[in-house]
Amino acid sequence: MSHAGKLIVIEGPDHVGRTLHARLLSARLKANGIATHTIGLARSDLMGGLVKSRTADIHQLNWRTRSLLYATDLHDQIKHEAEPLLGAGFVVIADRYTLTPRIREQVRGGDGEWIDSLYTNTPDPDAMIVLHAGPRRLLNRIMFGERLEALNHFEAGMDLALSTSITSSFLQYQKILRQKFQEAGKKAGATLIPTRQTVEEVHDRIWESVRPVVEHMLQPIGGN
Amino acid sequence: MDGSGKSTQAKLLYHWLRAKGLPVFHTEWNSSKIVKEATKIGKNSRRLLPITFHMIHAADFADRWAQQIEPVLEIGGIVICDRYKYTAMARDGSRDVPRDIIEATYSFAREPDLTLYFDVPVDTSFDRIAKGRPKLKFYEAGMDMGWTTDPFESYRIFQGKVSEIYAGLVEDGRIVRLDAQGTVAEVQTRVRETFDEHIDLSSTQVIDQSDRLAQNLSESDIDWLTYSGGEDQ
Repeated sequence: MSHAGKLIVIEGPDHVGRTLHARLLSARLKANGIATHTIGLARSDLMGGLVKSRTADIHQLNWRTRSLLYATDLHDQIKHEAEPLLGAGFVVIADRYTLTPRIREQVRGGDGEWIDSLYTNTPDPDAMIVLHAGPRRLLNRIMFGERLEALNHFEAGMDLALSTSITSSFLQYQKILRQKFQEAGKKAGATLIPTRQTVEEVHDRIWESVRPVVEHMLQPIGGN
Repeated sequence: MDGSGKSTQAKLLYHWLRAKGLPVFHTEWNSSKIVKEATKIGKNSRRLLPITFHMIHAADFADRWAQQIEPVLEIGGIVICDRYKYTAMARDGSRDVPRDIIEATYSFAREPDLTLYFDVPVDTSFDRIAKGRPKLKFYEAGMDMGWTTDPFESYRIFQGKVSEIYAGLVEDGRIVRLDAQGTVAEVQTRVRETFDEHIDLSSTQVIDQSDRLAQNLSESDIDWLTYSGGEDQ
């Protein structure tokens, strides 16, 4: 599928800094005269509100049903937002795309090939970035952040029965996820970026890999 | 086909097999709560497109598969499904979702031992579903496809496409055509004959009679312990 715009995908686990960096990337692109739009998981007008308000119910479903609900959510955004905007020359940033829904189910015994088949005919990313961080770092960000956040049962992989302790389960689960994200990222030709450095440094590395893709679209603002 | 009487016939088949003491389970395409909510949002806002319609229906089916169909099959039971993946092939296919995508999405749902296709002419289906109704629903009539501005005409076009796809599936030997015209009893006789022709029940275990009796008693309004069969009256 060829289009005037570009699709930039940022993947990675929760709390890795994906959303922050998607926002920074969008701001930088806009400052350079490029129209952007961000899509992501559970953000469609069709499914977004429902997925967010019924998270616990969705986690009770079997992996196939859950995969199909997330696929519905993403397809809704692709058809109503991404495709028309890519056609109009926007840079569409996907704060999570097809990798997260696949990996999350694969570690739960889901069939990755079947999940991928739900995303046939979706636009291919022009650049893909996988952010990663050590499990302990992610845990610190949650537990010693500005406000205390409770560890989420599903995010900690408690349903996998790795440990009866939620923190120990989180560490083990995130280790598995990190490995899967890195493997899948390499296979898909993504740039793997650790988020242990400062926000500016991570942003610069993201910019480095996005810049060649959008080079011809940049409207220099001086000192760029 | 819509309005072919298949739901009535499926229930009759279920009761027949159950009366024989067979382990049988009946399931309809009833949406799970969460899918129902999403579909409602999509329909009300007319946001649903062929691909999202396809995915959300499949989500619904996957839930039914995991909760009802697969467990019964695993323990050697008989499942009567009022609509299966072929409904998706016919409906989503009519909405131009490529067949290979539909097949891939539903690849987890095995080919049934027998699929009955209740065939009635498009005109009969149209008369039973559409005639006498002041209006048809937007998606029910296939208005989302923009074939025509008249909902009744659109519904007819939609059913024509559905019928064509079913005919192709019959030709491929994946579903068995059953003439659904005639009285309920006539059609049920055909259903049972076709069932017997295709299904070998010699290895299917019959349910223990005491369990069946207990179930019948628990579901009955009659007080069986004091009931004398009406002979004294």
